[in-house]
Amino acid sequence: MCKMKLLEYMGKELLSNFGITVQKGVVISSVEEVSQRARDLKPPFVLKVQILAGGRGKAGGIRFADDIKGAEKICSELLGKEMRGCIVKKILIAQKAEVKTEWYLSIILDRQSKCPTVIFSSLGGIDIEQTAKTDPGRIAKITINPLIGIKDYVARYIIESCGLDRKHLDELNQIVCNLYRLFNEYDCTLAEINPLAVAGDGSLMAIDCKADIDDSSLFKHPDILEFRNTIDENPLTIEARKFNFLYIPLDTEGDIAVASNGSGMLMSCIDLITKNGMKACAALDLGGGATSERIAEAVKIIFKNKTTDYLFISIFGGITRCDEVAMGVKLAIEAGLNDKTVILRLEGTNKAEALKITQSINGNVIDVKSISEGVKTLKSGRKNI
Amino acid sequence: MSILIDEKTKLIIQGITGREGTFHGQRMLEYGTKVVAGVTPGKGGSEVFGIPVYDTVREAYLKTKADASILFVPPKFTAIGAYEAMDAGIPLVITIAEHVPVHDMMSVYNISKSTGSRVIGPNSFGVISPGKSKAGFMHDKIFTQGSVGIMSRSATNCYETVFLLTNNGIGQSTVIGIGGDMIPGSAFIDYLGMFEADEQTKVIVLIGEIGGSDEEAAAAFIRENVKKPVVALIAGKNAPRGTSMGHAGAIVSADGTGSAQNKEEKLLAAGVHIAEGTEHIVQIIKDLKCV
Repeated sequence: MCKMKLLEYMGKELLSNFGITVQKGVVISSVEEVSQRARDLKPPFVLKVQILAGGRGKAGGIRFADDIKGAEKICSELLGKEMRGCIVKKILIAQKAEVKTEWYLSIILDRQSKCPTVIFSSLGGIDIEQTAKTDPGRIAKITINPLIGIKDYVARYIIESCGLDRKHLDELNQIVCNLYRLFNEYDCTLAEINPLAVAGDGSLMAIDCKADIDDSSLFKHPDILEFRNTIDENPLTIEARKFNFLYIPLDTEGDIAVASNGSGMLMSCIDLITKNGMKACAALDLGGGATSERIAEAVKIIFKNKTTDYLFISIFGGITRCDEVAMGVKLAIEAGLNDKTVILRLEGTNKAEALKITQSINGNVIDVKSISEGVKTLKSGRKNI
Repeated sequence: MSILIDEKTKLIIQGITGREGTFHGQRMLEYGTKVVAGVTPGKGGSEVFGIPVYDTVREAYLKTKADASILFVPPKFTAIGAYEAMDAGIPLVITIAEHVPVHDMMSVYNISKSTGSRVIGPNSFGVISPGKSKAGFMHDKIFTQGSVGIMSRSATNCYETVFLLTNNGIGQSTVIGIGGDMIPGSAFIDYLGMFEADEQTKVIVLIGEIGGSDEEAAAAFIRENVKKPVVALIAGKNAPRGTSMGHAGAIVSADGTGSAQNKEEKLLAAGVHIAEGTEHIVQIIKDLKCV
């Protein structure tokens, strides 16, 4: 993972903390909470499932209720339901907002310019990519020099280039500046308000929000770090993280897992496997310097996935010692994984010692000299090819 | 010749008294790197294997007129260490830590544009001109001096390629770890012109991967400015969209931006030889018969 996505309600909490108006609302995780927690809200309500997947509206995850009873009924329908591959555990109940027009506003960390970029569209409520295709004239895109930051001319440019009423300038400027503060203070790679609603009186309100936070910055944000463990993830990914490994589930139809001491080699091994008509079901990055005990854990985690029959380990060892890897494989295989096949390609530190260990393993472990030989062995060794 | 560093390059090690700084400092000295000073706040006036340690990069630079500085500091202190080096006037700053916050690197990158310093990394093994000097923690025994210039976003794919080249009797001029992060201090495009001008370099190898548009930018530059043969490998062709493949920067966006296919198309159109894997890189170079 390189970024953490926040659920809507958490993003809105941040917006609110940074002075951006959001609808009044509460989050519930059981039907029993509804009457208690939502009693101070003014009906009608909007109910939104809190899942990390797009297209909630189309999937029936955004509903409306006229009173508490109606809200309870919807919550009992939606809680625990699977939607877009996620289980609904939380629902945001908010006061339905009065919306005259919908805008779009985001700040992204743009890899090309290596600067924050503000994107505004006077057409909100839909994907910005779609507007970019159908209505590019309604988008304003401004690259921000991070050494200057956002000044009031940014909002002035948005108003001018999108042909909006000048009466919105002050409030829009406030929102853009506040969102930029949030973007920087929370190390965001994306902070998006879509839609940004314009009410009949001209006031602005954030109706929905997305925030992606840079993983490497989480040490600065304990509040966000705490949330991470509550996110639905592959259970093997979570287990692997305990040992400081990165486990990435891939093709569900695959039967080959790949492990390496670096993500570049992982990717190039998977590319060669796929090119040869086979499918990889998972990748595991061991990082540098793993001990035999940790390697054994990695092998066990990999084979906990029931569709994994083959494991291809490719190591180019500098800090990672080949003998430690071989010993780790031995420990795991001899502890009850004799029915699995491991293809080992070990190069670098202590390679000779490693080969002696692999030859002593009581199980199906094959030494190969190169990545291409490993791929060839996989191809000829698998029954269904 | 080679580029960026050679036997004359004077190097400062920031964090020289730390575990990694001392360990790799010694290895760099053994390799022949001209390490002239170390910097650790609070340890100024001491020495590590006979090399003077200073409290600040500015003082170290004033005393030694170093050409480069390498940072063996934890990720959360990488930005401040790079600021200090750039502010002191060091022309080449090498950062190696993994997990540097991307906002920190955005700031380092933009400041480097105003100070004129060149930043390599982070999440990089550093840079080596085999037989002359190394500034980094790479496994130096696999490198040999020769005429292939290499730059790579991945350390493992780079080591693999270098190992295979060396085993086939093909040496390298300079090997640069661009690093695997979203915002590297410098990218392929910053070194293509240097490799093109370098007499020692006969072939350029670019090891890229999914995510971002640095390979596309390199392709546009190669088309206009590079006459030497370029061989490229793009890793991650079969990575699922929206999933980071371990390197923070190796991610194809949901809309397909950063895909391997787009990168290969652009490079191919610029006359670059596309390799399927590391072994194929070596085969292509052999077939070129120019080294």
